[in-house]
Amino acid sequence: MNVWYLIYRVIIDDIIFYPPIYQFLIIPGLIAALIVALIIIWFERKAAAFVQMRYGPREIAPKIGGAIQLVADLTRYALQEIIIPETVDVLPYLLSPIIMIILALLPLEAVPITSIRTYYPIPPDYSLLIAVALSTLSPLFIIIMSWASNNKFAVVGGVRESFIITAYELIAVLGFLSVAAMTQSFNLVQIVNLQMSGKWFGLLNPIALLVVFIAVLMSTSGFPFEIPDSESELVAGPYTEYTGLLYGLNMGGAYIKRWVFSILITIVFLGGWAPYRPTPGIITGYFIPSLIISIKALIVMAIMSFLRSVYGRYRVDQALGIAWEILIPLTLVAFGLGLAEAYFGII
Amino acid sequence: MASNISSGSVPHLPGMEVTELSKNTYEVYIGPAHPGSGHMRIIVEVDGDVMVRVDPDIGFVHRTMEKLAEGRDWIKNIPLFERMAILDACNITLPYVEAVERLLGTEPPDRARYLRTLLCEINRIASHLYGMGIFGVFLGHSTLYMWAFGDREVFIDLAEQMTGARLTHSYPVFGGVRRDIPDDFPENARKATKYMRNRLNEYAKIFLNNPNIRSRLENVGIMSKNLATELGIVGPNLRASGVRYDVRLNEPYEAYGDVEFEIPVFEEGDSLARAWARVEEIRQSLNIIEQAVDWLEKHPRENFMHEKFWKTAPKLYKDVFSGQIDYAGKYRVKLMPLFASLKVPPGKAFARVEAGRGEMVYYVESDGEDVPYRVRVVSPSFRNVIAFKYLMPGHRLMDLPAIYGSFDYFPPEWDR
Amino acid sequence: MVGGEKKLISIQDSLKNVLKDNIISIEQAKGYIDVLVPTDKLVDSAKKLKEFGFDHVKSVTAVDYIAKKQFKITYHISSYLNEELSKYIIGLSTIINRDDPHLPSLSKIWVSAEFQEREVYEFFGIIFDDHPDLRLLLLTPVVAALKPLRKDFVVKEESDNIEVDYAAYNATKWW
Repeated sequence: MNVWYLIYRVIIDDIIFYPPIYQFLIIPGLIAALIVALIIIWFERKAAAFVQMRYGPREIAPKIGGAIQLVADLTRYALQEIIIPETVDVLPYLLSPIIMIILALLPLEAVPITSIRTYYPIPPDYSLLIAVALSTLSPLFIIIMSWASNNKFAVVGGVRESFIITAYELIAVLGFLSVAAMTQSFNLVQIVNLQMSGKWFGLLNPIALLVVFIAVLMSTSGFPFEIPDSESELVAGPYTEYTGLLYGLNMGGAYIKRWVFSILITIVFLGGWAPYRPTPGIITGYFIPSLIISIKALIVMAIMSFLRSVYGRYRVDQALGIAWEILIPLTLVAFGLGLAEAYFGII
Repeated sequence: MASNISSGSVPHLPGMEVTELSKNTYEVYIGPAHPGSGHMRIIVEVDGDVMVRVDPDIGFVHRTMEKLAEGRDWIKNIPLFERMAILDACNITLPYVEAVERLLGTEPPDRARYLRTLLCEINRIASHLYGMGIFGVFLGHSTLYMWAFGDREVFIDLAEQMTGARLTHSYPVFGGVRRDIPDDFPENARKATKYMRNRLNEYAKIFLNNPNIRSRLENVGIMSKNLATELGIVGPNLRASGVRYDVRLNEPYEAYGDVEFEIPVFEEGDSLARAWARVEEIRQSLNIIEQAVDWLEKHPRENFMHEKFWKTAPKLYKDVFSGQIDYAGKYRVKLMPLFASLKVPPGKAFARVEAGRGEMVYYVESDGEDVPYRVRVVSPSFRNVIAFKYLMPGHRLMDLPAIYGSFDYFPPEWDR
Repeated sequence: MVGGEKKLISIQDSLKNVLKDNIISIEQAKGYIDVLVPTDKLVDSAKKLKEFGFDHVKSVTAVDYIAKKQFKITYHISSYLNEELSKYIIGLSTIINRDDPHLPSLSKIWVSAEFQEREVYEFFGIIFDDHPDLRLLLLTPVVAALKPLRKDFVVKEESDNIEVDYAAYNATKWW
């Protein structure tokens, strides 16, 4: 056994596939999120273009249908001058986008993406609860961002963000927990294992899936559900004063939040790595299940982004009305449905 | 965002307006550098999320057309006024041409009347589609935006075949029109109308009947019949409030007395009704286009210019008209020389037409010189802008685009 | 158009009935009926016309007769709700002195005149008394001070050097 093999093992096992690093940075973390953003934004543009009788991006790399348009966009953001207005509160202004991105990725640290014990990032007993709790942290920094910007549009946007987050994160959390009521467990591994037989909880409890889907759509505020930063009256809402890379981070933050929620939806409702059964070994036990989850989550995101060509933007009070008057009762129904199914032993 | 400056210490500077705000409100400046405003500014005082005072501040693209017109030959004013709304060029210049014709005492021949009607309706459709597209993107509905702008291209192409220019046609001139239509035009026009009828149904499906859009528009910005009358609102916005007034109906000009069409009137007066009014008007315009095209096919090669001007026409012009030379050939056909030295008898004339966005009004006064003494232009958007001030307060800030877009604003037109 | 002539005469008669001795002259111009009233009877005439059914203002037109040292202000009014009256346009006009141009505002009678009166105010420097909100609408203060639509303001051949008093302008510059 030579030294190089040892170093190789260390790099592979202890660095790349060390679960906290792997899940945070590689799959389904930062790198996967970037690739997904590349694919999803391309898909979103192309799908919208198809519906809207136009071509979509094709100037950059026309042979592959403009697929790397996002790289060009990111380069532009990265090279753009970052203008910091005099009136902003500089420290929170600079830090909050970065913290927001990190916090947005943080729930991935709590999500097990395989059933092999050695590849759990944290003990999975309460992982659903922890993941859901961590996902509610990052919106706080959008509010901090809007306050630090010291701009009227930003403040209005921040207020809207806080309204929307309060309403829809609650729905998302309750929707996820209705599955916990079904399984009497917060353990995501156990939740996935229960779905191995093909009885996905999205099929058993479609109301919960629908409610969570809508809540994610609204709370991650992608176009055209971007009520906090709707450009026709608020310019860019909380991000009005941001330029260059910082603005790019903010835009990326929304996608990452959506990505993390898609992963959670995949695991909780769409069977996680099912029907694949992980076996010991890095590739078969860790890499493949993480890919399966990513692909399923990608499909969820693609459905979400297709909706942009169908819907317009809701008014903020209407969005809140839908949340508190329709979706919350619906969530409770989903919760009840989950309990009933557990009681009658359908699971 | 409390300002540090107390109102007592503010020096009075030119151009600076100091308005005291009541407690717990703040001002938001929508525009002029704002993705949702266009070339205008709406100063909104907001209490929480509800607009309390709305002050439309316009004039960012003002060009003083009325003054420029006083220094130009009569004929040169037509391309000038066109710049107010290039997408509605025929409608915008037509009342000026009519007013001058009234002063000159010339009546255009029948064919010219039908040609003008035809182009007016093509322009109206293009203008409505433009407005609807902008409206769609205001509500975050990018599909309608793209569809409307894509379909508008069909009618711009029609206008190009007819006049040789996509936007600034300068088509109606005193005593007639600038040129005749090519022979294959009626066929193309029928194809376009057939296509557009199908598309309108799809617009209704994806936008007007979309539950999401309906909830944004229904019962938003309700303008009662009396309020609309008081404010002097014009165009589809007026008819969406239940007032049956359309210049084409009340004082038929050009060929509108001879073609059959309906005036869609809606009773609701909200933003949704204003959007529907436009769709229904497009439908009626398609009918008018078909009728006008039928008439033109039945009366080929009639004169399209008043005799007084036609007899001064150059030979080339007459050759093109008689079919010896093709349109869009290599020749440059100039206007009749009489236009260059035209002097209009003294007098005062007033003319109105129904442009795409509403009633367009010109007052022309001549003192017998080769330039007008005074031209007063009142464009439809200028008369609609007052509605923002009186209609918006009481609505939420997010209703601003829903109301603003439903009025089919067009800053270059109201600024003139 | 014999019938049309008859109708025009009858509308002129009914205008005379409504306005009675307010009228200085009534004239059939091309496309509208010009009714000239004295300035102090303008508000009264407007009220009567509004009661008669003319419910909105189409245009507030000012014309500068520099030779006669006069402004002529015309309110082109018509009706939306009364279909018979909507076929006619009445020009309710009055003549005011060019040196001290004042006239009563009609914005309280016809709200639709509000923005148009503001426009006339900034372009001619004509002051509308009792206007609810007489501010500049389209122009900046520097340009409005030149009263650009008056006949003594001459546009230099299509150039963009409108003669602005830059010294005075710079003196009041605050940024």
